[in-house]
Amino acid sequence: MRARIIGAAVLVGAALAVVASTASGGTQAASSITVWLQTDAQATNWEPIVKAANAAFQKDHPGVAVNVQYQTWGNHLQKFDATLAGGSTPDVIEMGNTEMTKYMAAGAFQDLTSEKGSIPNSGTWLEGLAASGRYGGKLYGVPYYAGSRVVTYRTDLFKKAGIKVPTSLAQFTAAAKKLGTQNKQKGFSPVYIAGTDWYVAMGFVYDFGGKIATQVSGKWKGTLASPRAVAGLTAYKNFFNAASKASKTTDESHPNPYTVYAQGLVGSMLGPAWFSCCVGDEYKNATAQFVMPSHTKGSPMPGFLGGSDLAVPIGANKALAVDWIKAYTSNSSMTSLRGIGNIPNTTSLLGNSVNERAAKRSWFVPTAKNWVNVENGNILRNMLSQILTGRLTVKQAAQSASDNIASVLNG
Amino acid sequence: MAVDASPLPAARRRPLGPATVARGSVPYLLVAPVVVAIVAILGYPLYKLVTLSFQQYGLPELIQRHGEWIGLENYRSVLSDSVFWDTLVRTIVFTAANVALTIVLGTLIALLLLRLSAPVRILLTSGLVLVWSMPAVVAVQVWYWMTNFQNGILNYVLTELGLGDYFQHDWYGSPFSQLAMVTVLIVWGAIPFVTVTVYAGLAQVPRELVEAAQIDGASPLRVFRDVTFPILKPILLILTSLSIIWDFGVFTQPYLLIGASHVDASNYLMGVYVYIEGYAHSEFGRGAAISILMLLIVAVLSVFYVRRMVRMEDVT
Repeated sequence: MRARIIGAAVLVGAALAVVASTASGGTQAASSITVWLQTDAQATNWEPIVKAANAAFQKDHPGVAVNVQYQTWGNHLQKFDATLAGGSTPDVIEMGNTEMTKYMAAGAFQDLTSEKGSIPNSGTWLEGLAASGRYGGKLYGVPYYAGSRVVTYRTDLFKKAGIKVPTSLAQFTAAAKKLGTQNKQKGFSPVYIAGTDWYVAMGFVYDFGGKIATQVSGKWKGTLASPRAVAGLTAYKNFFNAASKASKTTDESHPNPYTVYAQGLVGSMLGPAWFSCCVGDEYKNATAQFVMPSHTKGSPMPGFLGGSDLAVPIGANKALAVDWIKAYTSNSSMTSLRGIGNIPNTTSLLGNSVNERAAKRSWFVPTAKNWVNVENGNILRNMLSQILTGRLTVKQAAQSASDNIASVLNG
Repeated sequence: MAVDASPLPAARRRPLGPATVARGSVPYLLVAPVVVAIVAILGYPLYKLVTLSFQQYGLPELIQRHGEWIGLENYRSVLSDSVFWDTLVRTIVFTAANVALTIVLGTLIALLLLRLSAPVRILLTSGLVLVWSMPAVVAVQVWYWMTNFQNGILNYVLTELGLGDYFQHDWYGSPFSQLAMVTVLIVWGAIPFVTVTVYAGLAQVPRELVEAAQIDGASPLRVFRDVTFPILKPILLILTSLSIIWDFGVFTQPYLLIGASHVDASNYLMGVYVYIEGYAHSEFGRGAAISILMLLIVAVLSVFYVRRMVRMEDVT
């Protein structure tokens, strides 16, 4: 019955989309473009940057309206699939850098290689981010911004406990234990990490020289069960047990770590640099950030380099779309984005903030077209909850996840 | 019984004139709009679903709007996937538990309603209707807050009642526990329908039959087994079949409630599995094949159950 309902819904949806696209498709000059950005850009300090870009774009294209639609990370790809089926794609879409490969491989985007030279700062793009927008030697995604992961901490609690900013994982663990003995509130986490936060956990794996998967003569091979990766996962488990009182099975948005922080139950937390936005009025002035230390003293732990690209889907008005992207990734736009705590898309604007220092040692997911299926099949989260709850040993859980990842990536 | 049958053959022998044909086709004309509507909204999508299940239809095909015919390959790949079989077994056990709990508790509450005074009955019935009218999405959210790891009221109340230390108890700590939480939510939401329907059915049980049985010295249990139950059986049969169909394909509750920590291969139910495989992975052909298999399984389960019940009816 469910099957029928789903089937019916798909077809009705597709039919409506087809009708809608034939109704709107015409040869008249485009009087508007549609831009899909993520809801992050809806924040009060971010939206003005979007508006400024729209105004700059409209200076060159008077009368062309820019229709910005904000999407959520959870379902924007499914919505995008529906527009691809119906032929009513947006003109510009923001894609997470881990989501790009699948869509580039499927031919969902227009080739921007010949436009590259005219896009601001294209000679100095952040290499880590730019790589996520290239496929088969062609450019499909323009780097938009990046974000690194840092430790956001309570300066007052660290001071009271006489803890200095740690420069190695061992120091941080000792500091966490000290914070734990000094703060007796129930549920207090010296270092809050959601149990299945794989962005944090994989940082440990890469820090110990491990990897998620590698490509061996065209075929993907899962490498999480390698001795180095297992050492990283074991270090993660030990650190979690010493420092975090978060649920071992939940993800990092249920609840958001900064919500627990704002309740006064967190000494420090690992996450994107923008976490400092939402630590609550009470702790705003007692909050600072440092770079997550590696197990090797003095070096930062590799952090996940999150980020977004801007792409032009097939069927979009390419000329207008590229012009809008130029306006939104201009120097002034990037300077403003940096001002609110993001890493700009160009090395020419990079400074020396904690965020930017953390970005210097980073890791990225395997660039396989099926990678996003590993993410939405939650293979890594499943593995982490198995490890932390002790349902499986580190080795067993890693082996099973590694096999699953290989079969998904090669599937 | 002696019946004069002569007019009937006479009528049959009457030649089919245009007027008769016209009169004879009236019922078909009247039913035609309904048939057309059903074919359009059920038959055509079903046909498309079946054809989709024989095609390689992923993201590239979606963009080109043209799938490649690959015969039974989707079915082969699904049926050789251990995740499918694990999910199937899990879903069947889950469905059996949910349907049994729903029907038993629903019937018990309906029997309770019979014995309550009018004001209490109205109170209870209103409560049931409120439960029924609560959208699933809202119910999931409220239930999730109540059972929350960090700030949930359930952990607080259990601890305050002295039932142990439930501080930061993780109700979603294992697949079994996750599915048990979903079961509570689904049974809670499904009981009103069963109760109200069974209660209506109980109104058909003749008072005098029950009284006669009681005078003969039958225990309440015996009265239920031999008098009430046989009369309720057709209703329970329909309720059970409907519940099987609903619970087997349930999506909203497990996807949202378990999804608040994370859905993965260790806690998939069929509804969630088909969504992840079909939509999240953009493998629409494969998703369609799983849908068809689900349809067949539900059909088989229902037929099996209906036949069993019918046979039982013949025996009694």
